[in-house]
Amino acid sequence: MLKVKQINRKARDWPKIFGWIFLPALLVVVWQVVAGWLNQPWIFPTATRVTDQLIHPLREHYASGSLLSNTLVSLLRVVIGFTAAAVAGVSLGLVMGVSRTFRGLLEPLTEFLRPLCPIAWLPFAIVVFKLKSLPQLLGLDYTRTIFDEVQLGMIFVLFMGGFFPILTNTLDGVAGVRRNYLSLARVLGANRRQSFFHVYLPAAMPMILTGFRQGIGLCWFVIIAAEMMTGSDSGIGYLLMYASDQSAMDVVIAAMVIIGSIGALLNFTMLRSMRIFVRWQGKE
Amino acid sequence: MRTETVNGVLAKPGMAVELKGVHKRYLSDSGTEVDALTEVDFTVKKGEFVTMIGATGCGKTTLLNIIAGLETVESGEVRLAADLRLGQTIAYVFQHYTLFPWRSVLDNVTFGLRMHGVGRRARNKKARELLSQVGLSEFENSYPHELSGGMRQRAAIAQTLALQPKLLLMDEPFGAVDDSTRRDLQRMLTDLWQQNKTTILFVTHNVDEALLMGDRVLVFRERPGKILGEFEIDLPRPRNRVNIAFTELFIKVRQTLSVDLD
Repeated sequence: MLKVKQINRKARDWPKIFGWIFLPALLVVVWQVVAGWLNQPWIFPTATRVTDQLIHPLREHYASGSLLSNTLVSLLRVVIGFTAAAVAGVSLGLVMGVSRTFRGLLEPLTEFLRPLCPIAWLPFAIVVFKLKSLPQLLGLDYTRTIFDEVQLGMIFVLFMGGFFPILTNTLDGVAGVRRNYLSLARVLGANRRQSFFHVYLPAAMPMILTGFRQGIGLCWFVIIAAEMMTGSDSGIGYLLMYASDQSAMDVVIAAMVIIGSIGALLNFTMLRSMRIFVRWQGKE
Repeated sequence: MRTETVNGVLAKPGMAVELKGVHKRYLSDSGTEVDALTEVDFTVKKGEFVTMIGATGCGKTTLLNIIAGLETVESGEVRLAADLRLGQTIAYVFQHYTLFPWRSVLDNVTFGLRMHGVGRRARNKKARELLSQVGLSEFENSYPHELSGGMRQRAAIAQTLALQPKLLLMDEPFGAVDDSTRRDLQRMLTDLWQQNKTTILFVTHNVDEALLMGDRVLVFRERPGKILGEFEIDLPRPRNRVNIAFTELFIKVRQTLSVDLD
């Protein structure tokens, strides 16, 4: 019995092992060979040149900072923008999901703004907020910290990117709460406020986390695109664009590897937290 | 016409529930009016264990919802004893979704107490007592999806008993478990009832179950819902189903039910 299980497991796992190790290794080898043969590093650098950039993340590139410092700037912007989007999206989603009045009033507006690409907001946001940073908003001057790089325009665009998936998923989660659980809570003496916190909120939690996952993925997309626009002077998207202007293709590809890895890591983290926080999902 | 009668007029002393000429209509999905209940009259005495039997349908659930105060009636009267109130002294065990899947067993049992503002220590103490009574002490930290169907219903019973209800409404609570588990649950519920003397109205579609537990069995017809007959079960507990008196009653109930089928 046990043996059969083990064999099945091995048989099932081979594509995974192949996909995680052999295929990427093959790709790198082909890349290295082709790039070496071309010998034009400003167009197609070898894997070793890109790896060299990746293992020296503190190396300064011209006057634009390092891979690490720019990555941190992008991550900080995303964390702040996403947090704002999460707070607003969940609150509004809960209120709209519970109250027909609020939903009726606000849904036309959200349905109109939702399909609008967040990047389309960027020129508007930059004009409105100029290049004001978060510390300046709080009345501080130049703080000489990484926070000086967090411009309000960027945060606004990130907010627009993260807000709608979180709002719509929360709304769907609340609207889809089984009536049985509401009846059960009522029978056990819950009032409206208690039902909100003890039934609607936990019952909508799987959908809220799905919204977070989509939202943070979208924020990561949006920040890279926003940083590549003119007017930006920091962030991993900016460094990628700047390095391309300098024909430093090894830095460009290193930045792409970092962007892809962080995106995958964010997604993986959200999936894991879903498995931890809503273990009951799909098992009612 | 809509008459708000639940908790309005009080039942006579000694009575927990009195229904007179209760009529309930609802709109089906296709838009036609369906009579869910017509002219339903019956009473439940305080401390009585009444079982209600009928084919599976929605009429019996509607009836329980009306008594609980979750649904209103078109006409007729629903009279409850003065001390019966939804969310306080009326408990209800549903057929499905009886536990919150996001709460552990212990947190499910303490839910009602928490809603009533009982402190953590006191509610956990009470919940642990109840969990040991229903034999789930070792599972207080488990989640509903980790329990078997029978264990889930035990937890649901503990959850409703935590508020020390005066009236316990049960809607086919043992419908989804296997036979031997069902017998254990029946025995457990009968024991709990004998200890606490709670009034119970128990709906089932299993004739055996109705006769094994009830002081009185109401035979219910569906579509539209109506009471066809009632039987006093004057047999000592624990009851034995391999017994002439039991079998005679079984046949009578079956005959009353099959009148409905013809």
